[in-house]
Amino acid sequence: MVESRWQKVLGYVVLVLFLVVILLPFYWMVITSFKPTAEVAAYPPTAWPQRFTWEHYVNAFTVHHFGIYIRNSIVVTCLTTVIVVILSSMAGFALARLPVRGKTPTLVFLLIISMFPAIAIVTPLYMFMRGLGWLNTYQALIIPYTAFNLPFAIWIMRNYFLQVPAALLEAAKMDGASIWQTFWRIYVPLTTPGLFTAAVFTFVASWTEFFMALVFNSSDTMRTIPVGIALFSSEFNVPYGDIFAGSIVSILPIVVLVILFRRWIVSGLTAGAVKG
Amino acid sequence: MKPSMGAASVSEAAGERGRDILAPDRRSGYAMMLPAVIVILGVTIFPILYSMWMSLNDVRITLNGFQLSFIGLANYSTLVHSGMFWHSVWFTTYYAVVTVVVELVLGMLIALAIHRVQRLKNLSLVVMLIPWSLITVVSAQMWAYIYNGTYGVLNGILQGLGIIQAPVTWLGSESGAIICTMVADIWKTTPFVVIILLGGLQMISQEYFEAAVMDGANRWQVFWKVTFPLMRSSIALAALFRILQAFGVFDLPFVLTGGGPGTATTSLAILGERSLFQNLHFGVGAAIAVSTVLVVLILSLIFLSAFRGMAEEGA
Amino acid sequence: MRNKVWAIASSVMAAGLLVAGCGGGAATNNTAAGNQTAGQGGTVDLSKASGTVVWAASPITTGTDLRTALIQAFEKSHPNIHVQLQEQSTNTDTNRGSLTTAIGSGSSTPDVYMGDVVWPAQFANSQLALPLDEYLPKDFWDRFSSGLVDGATYQGHIYGAPFFADTAFLFYRKDLLQKAGLPVPTSWEQVEQEAKTLQQKGLVKYGFIWQGASYEGLTCNFMEYLADAGGQVMDSSGNVTINSPQTQKALSFMQDLVQSGVTPKAVVTDQEPQAMSLFDQGQVAFLRNWTYAWNDSQNPQNSKVVGKVGVIPLPTFGGPNGYSCVGGWDLMVNPHTKNLAAALAFVDWMTGPEAQSILAKQFGELPTNKQVAQDPSLKQVSPVFAVLDKVKFVPRPAQTPNYPQVSQAIYSNVNQMLSGSLSVSDTLQKMEQQIKSAVSGGGL
Repeated sequence: MVESRWQKVLGYVVLVLFLVVILLPFYWMVITSFKPTAEVAAYPPTAWPQRFTWEHYVNAFTVHHFGIYIRNSIVVTCLTTVIVVILSSMAGFALARLPVRGKTPTLVFLLIISMFPAIAIVTPLYMFMRGLGWLNTYQALIIPYTAFNLPFAIWIMRNYFLQVPAALLEAAKMDGASIWQTFWRIYVPLTTPGLFTAAVFTFVASWTEFFMALVFNSSDTMRTIPVGIALFSSEFNVPYGDIFAGSIVSILPIVVLVILFRRWIVSGLTAGAVKG
Repeated sequence: MKPSMGAASVSEAAGERGRDILAPDRRSGYAMMLPAVIVILGVTIFPILYSMWMSLNDVRITLNGFQLSFIGLANYSTLVHSGMFWHSVWFTTYYAVVTVVVELVLGMLIALAIHRVQRLKNLSLVVMLIPWSLITVVSAQMWAYIYNGTYGVLNGILQGLGIIQAPVTWLGSESGAIICTMVADIWKTTPFVVIILLGGLQMISQEYFEAAVMDGANRWQVFWKVTFPLMRSSIALAALFRILQAFGVFDLPFVLTGGGPGTATTSLAILGERSLFQNLHFGVGAAIAVSTVLVVLILSLIFLSAFRGMAEEGA
Repeated sequence: MRNKVWAIASSVMAAGLLVAGCGGGAATNNTAAGNQTAGQGGTVDLSKASGTVVWAASPITTGTDLRTALIQAFEKSHPNIHVQLQEQSTNTDTNRGSLTTAIGSGSSTPDVYMGDVVWPAQFANSQLALPLDEYLPKDFWDRFSSGLVDGATYQGHIYGAPFFADTAFLFYRKDLLQKAGLPVPTSWEQVEQEAKTLQQKGLVKYGFIWQGASYEGLTCNFMEYLADAGGQVMDSSGNVTINSPQTQKALSFMQDLVQSGVTPKAVVTDQEPQAMSLFDQGQVAFLRNWTYAWNDSQNPQNSKVVGKVGVIPLPTFGGPNGYSCVGGWDLMVNPHTKNLAAALAFVDWMTGPEAQSILAKQFGELPTNKQVAQDPSLKQVSPVFAVLDKVKFVPRPAQTPNYPQVSQAIYSNVNQMLSGSLSVSDTLQKMEQQIKSAVSGGGL
């Protein structure tokens, strides 16, 4: 498209403005995590720490067992994400491009499942987990996280597969490819942005889930980050510094993930690869 | 629902035409869906049905576990006759509609901006992910810290700029508490919308735009005639799942206001949590959960039918 | 589209029918899940106790962990018993939610848990706690300071062993009073008056801070003014008697504190941490807070008012030494525990002189054990212990299993009044109506 220079500049200005607005509150959180406790509640607030300190980060790892929480979160979240991406792309493909029956009821059913408030489900699910002897295990989180993230992931993947023309399926069939080959070799590579989206959503949702993690895994060695951070507080004290420090550390893996997979998102579909 | 979601009808229609030829494909389809269906049903069916059943019972905890005695719709009758419940339905609906609409508009703007620029793409994505990947409770605590009526930075900045004379208790009035909670929510979840819409934008072939421009369409026309119709399913997806999430809003008002001042920001989820985990009234709590699902379902359907009309007009 | 809507609606209804069909099965399934492991009464021999005890407790202190210190001392004196600490959230609701889920579903762990002093009636009613009086000798209960065991009693049975107590005090800036030439206040009216004077003289920004957010802590604050005014929420036979001129007086005073500017408007969002940091930052002259506030205000790491603070019992209307709300925690036992003897041995030791001394002398918590509480050397530990004798206690109306709802009726309405959108008389009316409905087990 032809763009005049000022239109280009305008685009950047709008974008940068949004980025700044998004970053401001976060800036405040980062700055606070480097302030000594006494300065945290000072008024007027200081825009830059008067005395710069790492104490909150040290606290997170020494006073609290943040290292263990990170390990548990990584194991649970990564496995959940991998399983969800694989299962949802298969199901999404079937719902988008294969002549299965009952598509609409299935999709509505998935929607209803994702509507059900987690808080109402935790108690029966706990009884279920206890019956299986799964309390205080990784699968106690991985399996429910997978189940509760799948509906949305399937909707996403179906949406992406729908945008890849059905004609490709016919063409591949003419060439003698099986459905599975067509799916893996042709459709999946064309929907990498979809895989990424589904993966990021699942990752973030599992990474930040609190209530099931709290109730199902009560042993300290099986705690995940959100529960761990919630335990930073003592009866009458909310240590903002420690909490913010822990949360900032907990964002890092997600930032790394985005940087690692940026090719998938940014290039996405090369123009012209898919013609409608 | 199906038509608004895109072209599922094509393959289904094909299915009716040539049942025999398509049988192997259909079998592969079921096979591909099976693992996901097993996991979902295996985990969710028992808890959901159990919770629905609880809502029709008087539930007591005894030494033998939960004891249910059937009382029909009595729990629902408690809800219907409670002003608190209707207030929560109203607040949650209002909250969901406003935040989702604002997030969709902002999200679309940001997604278009990121899509158009050549540079800053990676940076933008990373920045987008920060609010959204923050643990919800922590982001609520961060906003509580920012809004604080005595030492919050929002007061610090506004007072420094001379806009206000004395610190304001942002969360101390009904409208203030509602707006502040919404702002915090919009900050945190607009990126969710951006990522979905950006994905949708990337799936649109560049040629459509080129063709439209060749036909002499201006930027506004390109958006309404090309981008918007082609993004329909992405927008619907983002809106639908944001509505679901917004109806479950819990941590933000819980941390920021405790549902107050008074009951101004008591969402359905807060009400449900109170019944389930404070009052131990499991039957009523389950009824709140089931009613929430019904309200969301109705709202989603209204949205989808309205949206479908809108998108067709645009196309 | 209309057809679609119908299709969806009918699929939802079908799902509903399905539930009705399967629900019975789920319910029967569940009744078999629980099992009674605790014995049939009579005292348990604690001397042979061994094995593991899982203790669910939320963090009590900042810094060195009181819980770990106690566990180590216990294991030293009971080498056959191992105690495993299960971290609980400090958020009361989250804490209660995870405990009810586990114990309600029949889980045998945690064996022992820390329960808020307002929980016994509710937990007893839902059979989430063991009636300890059936398993411990009668004279066990003699060790506690008077009144504490009553708070853990429901329908004649005792469901919790008082672990540590807590109550509120008035903390004040003695340096500011000195500067202004004011005496230490001896009534609520004087607190308000002096706070106003200090503000007018520009010595301090805010006068008096307490906890006014929409949460349990506001109920505690309210109970104190109510008791001082001579009112009560319920009488001894459980009738709701809140609609009285006394309540009117208590509410009017609270409202006036905010309207006169003595208490900042932000009090409607303040819980303990926010109120505390305002005081620690030297921005406020008077603070109503719990026992911990003494140590917190004297910790140079977070406080700018070290050495400038005095403490007295909360005053009353027209005089000194008013009522303070009873807080603190009990030790409760899971009725499904598989190691009752060890659990009781743990409870026994934790409420005995050794544990209670550690708790009081090293960590500044209020002991529940009479012998330790009366130890004169405690007064040197902190000035809070020195004024404790003069404190009069008011419990919250937690004798009903529906107390959480009663408390919600109190704090949400008082909070709305403080925020300025509800008059005193409307607040009173709404409170009365909601409390009545809560006590009768109805409403939301």
